[in-house]
Amino acid sequence: MARKNKAESEPKSLYRRRENIRGYVFMLPWIIGFVVFSLIPFIATIVLSFMNVSSTVEGYSITPAGFSNYYTAFFRNTEFVPALLSFLGMVIPYTFVIIVVSFIIAYLLNKIQLGRGLMRTIYFLPVIIMSGPVMSQILERADESVEAAQGMSGYEGVFILEMIRSYSPAVANFMEGVFDELTMILWFTGIPIVLFISALQRINHTLYEAAKIDQANEWQTLWKITIPMVKPTALVATIFTIAQLGTYDTSAIYNLIKTATGNTQSGFGFAATYSWIYCLVVLIVIGCSFLIFREREPRRRK
Amino acid sequence: MKSFRDSSGVIMVGKRPLRWYGRLAVQILIYFILIIIGFVYLEPIFEIIAKTFMSADDIIDPSTTWIPKKLSLDNLKIAADVLDIWPTLLATVLFSGAMAAAQTFVSALTGFALSRYKFKGKSIWMVMLVLTFIVPVPVLMIPRLMMFVTAQEATGIQMIGTVLPQGIMALLGQGVYSAVLILIFYTSFNMIPKVLDEAARIDGASMFKVFWFVVVRISASTILVVFLFSFVWNWNETYITGTFLRGHLPLLPGKLALFNSEFDSVVSAQGTAFRLNEAYKMAATLLSISPLLLMYAFVQRKFIEGIENTGITGE
Repeated sequence: MARKNKAESEPKSLYRRRENIRGYVFMLPWIIGFVVFSLIPFIATIVLSFMNVSSTVEGYSITPAGFSNYYTAFFRNTEFVPALLSFLGMVIPYTFVIIVVSFIIAYLLNKIQLGRGLMRTIYFLPVIIMSGPVMSQILERADESVEAAQGMSGYEGVFILEMIRSYSPAVANFMEGVFDELTMILWFTGIPIVLFISALQRINHTLYEAAKIDQANEWQTLWKITIPMVKPTALVATIFTIAQLGTYDTSAIYNLIKTATGNTQSGFGFAATYSWIYCLVVLIVIGCSFLIFREREPRRRK
Repeated sequence: MKSFRDSSGVIMVGKRPLRWYGRLAVQILIYFILIIIGFVYLEPIFEIIAKTFMSADDIIDPSTTWIPKKLSLDNLKIAADVLDIWPTLLATVLFSGAMAAAQTFVSALTGFALSRYKFKGKSIWMVMLVLTFIVPVPVLMIPRLMMFVTAQEATGIQMIGTVLPQGIMALLGQGVYSAVLILIFYTSFNMIPKVLDEAARIDGASMFKVFWFVVVRISASTILVVFLFSFVWNWNETYITGTFLRGHLPLLPGKLALFNSEFDSVVSAQGTAFRLNEAYKMAATLLSISPLLLMYAFVQRKFIEGIENTGITGE
């Protein structure tokens, strides 16, 4: 064909231009969508957070408000700062526990032969059915049963916990929180487990053989080979987990943004401020995890 | 298929390989731990199923926890009534299916472009793609909502309360977790040798023909995986749906969220003195997840392999 022959005989720049055009033809729908529904909204949210938005009969009336929305969010509204703190208090320990637990499960799953398919099916199941309403039904049920069974707290008088509490109440509270919502935390491990398993299987077998010849034991190979090799995957899993937790329906901040969005009379400016601060916090957390996994050994695991 | 070999072959403790009974003990320990954790995973589901089939007497009776003394379908019937199950189920399946089809199509196009062509700014678009995944959705929702409301007023076409906004966003690659779907296609297409396209192009195929007859035809299993993921995620998504649809289309998760209040209104309309108890809620939850469970039972292997072989893993 004529077109084909030309492409081969013409200088490279023409070929490149062609590649350019072709690439953009296929990318076009996504690029349009990205610009219209992601890039512009993202910038607009930042702008709106400095505005007063009220919806009137002939559309939205937008007036500049300076920093008043931020001032309201941090100093006047009594719900926002606690909600933000409780979100941080949830996302950091949860992510840590989720990543560690899913790595352990993946490591163990990689060691067995029989029934591993079945096991993986079970561990992956929550990914399929997890949605906000289902989770809140399950959590509600858990709350009711715990209260019904033991009154205030289910862990009153557990010896080890009391022992830890006498040293550091903060650690004990953290552990209580983790155990309270263990099921929920575990349900977030579905995708990280699968990611870790595939990372473990991609590790070159010869590394382990070399280590074995050098008389390294299982524990040493775990720390010197396995964990360094899965570190990049741990980063991906962390980002995935934070993103999932960030859009998790029952967190307080999420509901705050939701109600602010629903309040069309005055809420849009505030809602934009809320969600922008929230987004910033999520991005900072993701940035921190990036630094932790990039620069050095994951110190927290040791 | 990957070979499922033990990553280290023999489990070592100290300097000597363990004898057979030592290895057996380690294996038993591993199974023990895995089964215990597996139980924690499934415990809520077991409880949902158990409570669903309990009669009112069994619920009150503290001696029955797991196995109902008398199998009763009352809870299921009442929950199905309240959820209005058949129209709701149909609407949910159609909605999720349509969204998934749109998302799969556009993700395949984008994945193809990223995998096959070297164009200017490709790396920037890749970074943007990943960023769309990281940025939390609420931050984008307010301008999106304002956009659609303005468009609705400008054109006179009803948009809020219809599937239109979500349909448009899905078709333009901005649906639920679209970035992940695109990355799945991207890695999967990267594994198809480029000589195949070149051969087709030498034979005179246009780029769309290469896309459709060469790449798409080989990728049937990837397409299935992406479609299923998109289906499940759209099914379980409630925030965006709640903002744009506002309950105008009866969808299962939304109905489940409203279950408590709807239950009261239906029951009081019937004039029967039902007390809202846990069992009804559990039955409703079971009804809303059972289609997904059923689907998962058939295609679970594809699901897991799909995630495993894909770009989410990071390269």
